[in-house]
Amino acid sequence: MPAITVDNLTKSFGQTLALDDLSFRVKEGEVFGFLGPNGAGKSTTINIVLDFARPTDGSVSVLGMDAQRNSRDIRQRTGVLPEGVKTYDRLTARQHLEFAINSKNANDEPEALLERVGLEDAIDRKAGGFSKGMSQRLMLAMALVGKPDLLILDEPSTGLDPNGAREMRDLVREENERGATVFFSSHIMEQVEEVCDRVGILRDGEMVAVDSVEGLRDSVSGGTSLRVTVDRIDDAALQAVRSLQDVTRATVKGEDPPTIVASVNGSKTAVLSTLEDHGIEIQDFQTTESSLEDVFRSYTTGTRPEVHAQ
Amino acid sequence: MSTETDAVSEPTDSGSTSSRIHLGSILTVAKKDFQDAVRSWLFWGLSVLFFLLLVGIAGALSYFGEDIAAQGATTDALVFLVSQVTKWIVPLIALILGWKSIAGERESGSVKILLSLPHSRKDVVIGKLLGRSAVLSVSLTVGFVLAAALVAAFLGGFDIVDYGGLLVMSMTYGMAYTSIAVSLSSLTRSTTIAGAAMFCVFLLFYVVWNSLGVIFRLLGEREFLFFDTVTYTQEFQGQEMMAERRQDWTYFITNLDPGQAYNRGLTFLTDVDLLEQGSTTSAQMFGGELPIYLNDWFSFMILLFWIVVPLGIGLYRFDRVDI
Repeated sequence: MPAITVDNLTKSFGQTLALDDLSFRVKEGEVFGFLGPNGAGKSTTINIVLDFARPTDGSVSVLGMDAQRNSRDIRQRTGVLPEGVKTYDRLTARQHLEFAINSKNANDEPEALLERVGLEDAIDRKAGGFSKGMSQRLMLAMALVGKPDLLILDEPSTGLDPNGAREMRDLVREENERGATVFFSSHIMEQVEEVCDRVGILRDGEMVAVDSVEGLRDSVSGGTSLRVTVDRIDDAALQAVRSLQDVTRATVKGEDPPTIVASVNGSKTAVLSTLEDHGIEIQDFQTTESSLEDVFRSYTTGTRPEVHAQ
Repeated sequence: MSTETDAVSEPTDSGSTSSRIHLGSILTVAKKDFQDAVRSWLFWGLSVLFFLLLVGIAGALSYFGEDIAAQGATTDALVFLVSQVTKWIVPLIALILGWKSIAGERESGSVKILLSLPHSRKDVVIGKLLGRSAVLSVSLTVGFVLAAALVAAFLGGFDIVDYGGLLVMSMTYGMAYTSIAVSLSSLTRSTTIAGAAMFCVFLLFYVVWNSLGVIFRLLGEREFLFFDTVTYTQEFQGQEMMAERRQDWTYFITNLDPGQAYNRGLTFLTDVDLLEQGSTTSAQMFGGELPIYLNDWFSFMILLFWIVVPLGIGLYRFDRVDI
């Protein structure tokens, strides 16, 4: 049973179409990255999943239950970190957590939860004096209340410094290892890269790609790019490199010294040994993986033909 | 999953399981809301205000009111004078307390914290009403209790039933206005619009409704449409006299004002003569028996109406909108 099933979901606000026939599934036990630029419809989707907004058409089911009819039961088993939300100024961190614990009839300890998000020192301080990052940590702690089966984190890195963002990713991993499914939205690719099993990219209310991080990388650039700096190059050697099975493309850049740029899917050493066989001296080489940021950009900007979700 | 038996039973839109009311949730939301408000200066400011109001009027009575004290009617005078003030300020306070209750949380987004947790939207509206009413009720109680000793000292003892009646009536009256405020607040995402709505409510009951009696009277004298006056006989100093009054139903309309209901409810709960003298209607006007809606006890129905009807509208609407 999928943790989240979105079927032909359409949502319009007046004349504006926010979601257009969106369908995807989040498998039980996976970390799913929900990516897209601001305004792509991520928050609208999450709002419908949590019954904050009602769909114009289509349906959503969460943990096997209808998102509209059984929202309370769903939210009982879900931990949510909402986006762009202010905590209650006059309540302390402890009171926030007690509220969440009472609401879910859970038996967590506020101290233990705050320790997990690194906020234990602020337990009896009022949230009104918190920085954005502290508020975000507090809400993350609230999301962990009651060991939820599903965690929905909407732009969880907002307001966190790089260190905080890393701790947040560690928490996501811990929760996932405990058995929770994590649904994680972001407009920054590199944040989801490290923790997500699969990534879905949303653009203008439509899912333009759903795949593993590796799969997305391959779909865009054809794999790793290898740059070899050599003392000289000749046509025979270049042809030999191009004819290798794993090489999809090879070009020469620069002259003194020349650099061979090759897209390689498999063995990189084959390229190096072929060059050496032709008596070419290798001065330096490096491999670069196409960054996910490139992948993201190629899916969400320009007029690249759409790759439809599975 | 096997425990979710009620999950399949209700296919209809309005009666879905997730929109049901859950007492535990209501109380949790109310408690959170109360904690959130009780820490603000507003709560203590209100307690002090009620305290000063009672002590101030009691002090003035003991200083200037020797005649009243001689008649043993000091608590009467206190309840009467205080109620004339609270009649005006309790609605104002309730509207201010309830103004942002839901619109404010929608504007800042924190309503998503409430609704991410397993509460229905109805739980949130009812919880908010209880939480905000509690703020007013508790600050009234704190003010009344703290003032009691001083009032007793000033007046040389007081009638606990009248004093308690004033407190209970003020809490009920406050709850009616809180219900109006919270419901209006649930209808919009903008605190500006919510604020404007509060102002309109204030105008409606303070200005418009208060002048309705006069307007109906004037229309009646001009025999305008169905406002024509009714003639009745009245005994005055042993003589029968003819007099005119408004149509029955216009009394019903003017009595719907929560402020009127507050006065009449006080008349019912306390035995303050001053309040009864202020009444403009008598059984004689209606041929010996008051219509049911002019009985003092009926004012509780009116206040109940002002608690239940706005709440019902808020519950219905808030359940159906996008947050």
